[in-house]
Amino acid sequence: MIISILRGLFRQARRHPLYVGLNIFGLALGIGVFLTLTLLVRFEYSFNAGFADADRLARMDEHWSMPGTTPYESADATFKALPFLKQDFSEIEEAVPFIGTDLCVVKDGQFTNFGGVMTDPAFFQMFSLRFLHGSPATALTRPDGLVLSQHAAMTLFGSSDTLGKTVELNRAGQKTVQVVTGVLADPPSPGVLDGVDMIVPIPPQERLTRGCFRFWGSSCGNIFLKFHRREDIASVSDRLTDFVAHRTAGPADDPISLGSNPEKTFHLSLTPLRALHFHDANVEDTESGVDRRIIDSIGLIGLLALTLGCANAVNLATARAGLRAREVALRKTLGAPRRMLFGHFMGEAMVVSLVSGLSGLALCEAFTPAIASMTGEAIRVDYGFIALLLPLVVLGSGLASGLYPALVLSGYQPAKILAATGMPAGGRQATVLRNALVAAQFAIAICIVICTLVIDRQTSFLRNADRGYAKSGLLIGQQMHSGEIGLQRRMMDALRAVPGVTSVAFGELQPNPHSITRTSFVYNGPTGSVQAQLTQDRVSSGYRDSYQPHLLAGRWFDASHGQDEGPAKEDIGNGHGSWNVILNSKAARAFGFGNAAGAIGKVIREDANHFTVIGVIEDIRFGSPRETIAPEILFFSPLQHVAFDDPIPAVRFSGVSRTIMAERLDHAWRTLLPDVASHFSPPDELMETYYSGDERRGHLFTLGAVAALLIACLGLYGLAAFAATRRVHEIGIRKTLGATGSQTIVLLLRDFLKPVLVACLLACPVSWIIMRQWLNGFDERIALTPSLFLVAACGAAFIAALTVLGQTLRLARAEPARALRAE
Amino acid sequence: MLITLSHIQRLYRSDEVETTALHDIELEIAQGEFLAIMGPSGCGKSTLLNILGTIDRPTAGSYRFGEEELTKRDEAALARFRRENLGYIFQSFNLIDELTVEENIELALVYRKIPKAVRRERVARAMDRVGIAHRARHYPSQLSGGQQQRAAIARAIVGEPRLILADEPTGNLDTENGTQVMDILQTLNDEGATIIMVTHSPSHADLAKRRVDMLDGQIVISVRNAI
Repeated sequence: MIISILRGLFRQARRHPLYVGLNIFGLALGIGVFLTLTLLVRFEYSFNAGFADADRLARMDEHWSMPGTTPYESADATFKALPFLKQDFSEIEEAVPFIGTDLCVVKDGQFTNFGGVMTDPAFFQMFSLRFLHGSPATALTRPDGLVLSQHAAMTLFGSSDTLGKTVELNRAGQKTVQVVTGVLADPPSPGVLDGVDMIVPIPPQERLTRGCFRFWGSSCGNIFLKFHRREDIASVSDRLTDFVAHRTAGPADDPISLGSNPEKTFHLSLTPLRALHFHDANVEDTESGVDRRIIDSIGLIGLLALTLGCANAVNLATARAGLRAREVALRKTLGAPRRMLFGHFMGEAMVVSLVSGLSGLALCEAFTPAIASMTGEAIRVDYGFIALLLPLVVLGSGLASGLYPALVLSGYQPAKILAATGMPAGGRQATVLRNALVAAQFAIAICIVICTLVIDRQTSFLRNADRGYAKSGLLIGQQMHSGEIGLQRRMMDALRAVPGVTSVAFGELQPNPHSITRTSFVYNGPTGSVQAQLTQDRVSSGYRDSYQPHLLAGRWFDASHGQDEGPAKEDIGNGHGSWNVILNSKAARAFGFGNAAGAIGKVIREDANHFTVIGVIEDIRFGSPRETIAPEILFFSPLQHVAFDDPIPAVRFSGVSRTIMAERLDHAWRTLLPDVASHFSPPDELMETYYSGDERRGHLFTLGAVAALLIACLGLYGLAAFAATRRVHEIGIRKTLGATGSQTIVLLLRDFLKPVLVACLLACPVSWIIMRQWLNGFDERIALTPSLFLVAACGAAFIAALTVLGQTLRLARAEPARALRAE
Repeated sequence: MLITLSHIQRLYRSDEVETTALHDIELEIAQGEFLAIMGPSGCGKSTLLNILGTIDRPTAGSYRFGEEELTKRDEAALARFRRENLGYIFQSFNLIDELTVEENIELALVYRKIPKAVRRERVARAMDRVGIAHRARHYPSQLSGGQQQRAAIARAIVGEPRLILADEPTGNLDTENGTQVMDILQTLNDEGATIIMVTHSPSHADLAKRRVDMLDGQIVISVRNAI
């Protein structure tokens, strides 16, 4: 039987290469896209899965819901909680801090950056990692210990056997000499240790000085917890509100605690390690988070591509069934039982599916590197996984695409077929099925096309949207990591002196800010007091010329106004002073000032400090376009008395290329801060991470849309080719009755495009619902205008018309006498 | 004269073979005639009928319909000629499977841009004439052969054509249904329609007013029947 099936298929391929080609290519494309996107989805779902005891590990997140601001969740949690966690919860086996940091090794004047982590010695009890050299028990016990990845060891020493060797590390200008105490084999990937090449113990003095170890409201890194049992995560999570109420409450004037009833504004939660990747999509202070719905949608596109490929095969097979009716009738007349014929046709479908599966695998091999570079993820064709998946896909596709045609074909009544003058079309039911399949294929394709268009428009809208400052001709530098006012003044002067620089400013926030400080302010208005949590920025002279923010009302800071300068960092929370400030328009609205002009002259309060609003600027977007812009307050420091905490220079330049300017600035920087690596980058480059994710996913949707359209067109082409064969006779009759060529073309095009029209009607509302939901995730978004849907629908109809045009013209031009003889 | 064919020739060329289907046909047909064409299979009867129906073109010769020379007309003009002047009846009925009886008959009027209401009324009348009105909403596959052929006749006459061409109209029918079809054709002829019919049945040929016999693409005998 197998030989008979193969022989039959071989002959079909020779006699009807187009049909067999369309069938195999359509299914192969579906399988190829499915395999590729499944590899991507599997990769995204496998984050942190490789760690031993991954299901007993969790990260503790902070939630803040302060009045006047949008509540947010942060992956960074205060280390003040660390000593109490094990004490209060017996379920916790271990709790460690995890501070991600850039660690630099300077060799021959060249900075080599390594991804680093500062943590506790217990880190290796939490994450069981394989050591190539050294011992996890002792690796971080000495304060100058250093655990290297194999990659870092090879880069620095050309060998992994580097125990006892010393490395001079430079962390933001602070130099330390560390001794290699361990070398790690590659950690499980993808996961939280991706890109981590160095692990060092937290320096003891930092535990004493850094706010995140001392105050409940301050955080600078993650807390990872290991539980005795997986179920403990949920049970501890439920009791964290009591923990907050018990541990963080304190007197209102105590800077360490969070005052009375802290649980009203502050919460802690636990997220299992395996869930972090998707959870982090909506969490601040994270980098690798991906919206799970997007990944599921990509998986769905893969599944749809496979379904389309199968539908295509069903369509072509049922269309071809009519042409094979005589073969079936003769086989039956010669004594073939239905079961045998059914088996024969199923066998054919299975062989087609197998050939398509192998071709699909080849396509997957071709697609995967492109997808990997498109998404920036380390996706590769995992043959172990493919070996499990492909047989299932081949079997499923064979069954899905072969079952119905095999039932139809094997069910033909030989007497009817042999007596009939024409070939059976499989009845009206089969015609409806074929049209429905084509309509469904196009509906899916159009839906994906609309989604692709919307994603593309939205991402380009975000890229080009006004961010409240002038992006071009601006370079943003690195944090100075110095609070020394003298050095800050010298740096300002050095940068100003660079030829081509038109203005220099310092700020504490920059596009894609490293750290954000928020403080609560109160406005006692005529209708009562309004509280709002404001993001703080401190700006220097030259800020207005460098960033060019839009001043909506009032005036800009002026160094000659004494009250414009300040407050110093230590004045917030302790001071009794009075200063002038500028608000963004969000903050003006948060206090209920009505419009920008209404805010001018108003006084807001923070404890005993008073701040007079002298100006209101348009909102500046430094953060993700998905996040709501926060209400913001700007303090001023012309570097006369008040130093910046950690200033970031912004340089406006002209008359010179960006690259040359960056080089000149780097040079000027190195003269003052030789130990702090300098990076002067344009704002778009700093913000890239916010935009590239959606753009990369947009590319994946484009791939899905192209594949879906291509397969749908194959289906339509198959349908048209079949109709062309079957309708020759009908067209002959129509022309005999006086139909002209153009009337026939219109009739045929109308019939062929009817399923596409139905598809448009189905696809538009569905895609509207999906895209509205997606767009709701953005603070600023495009409107879902009818033009987007029209473009997709007309585009699909045009492509469909092109697909069937050849067949239509051939059919419409057929001579009627010949057409009537065709039976 | 309604139809004048002179020196009509039809050659079919395939890769290496040239077949002469019709050779030097001379034929005149008057208004109101009922002409039967007979001859063995492959003698060129259907080719002649196709040329008369303008769904095939002669390789050489002249075909005049009234004062009009048709061989020089383009495809669009011939389509217009067919819908205004001709009615076709085929041996295998040639009804469109996807259309109902009513819709099949209406098709002959659709291309003439006749208003829907008028079309309906004329279709109903044509169905009444051939006794198929009770099957109006049925599909061809739901009818017997005789009923299908009556529907095909209704389609041929619904446009009130000047010429009805019938290609073995009883060939696929039993005796009773064949007789019924011939009765209808005779009635139509009596009412003034010109009919050209290809047939294998001598008894049916005898019902026509004139009969021509063909052999190897040529007319060999032309006789007028005594009725």
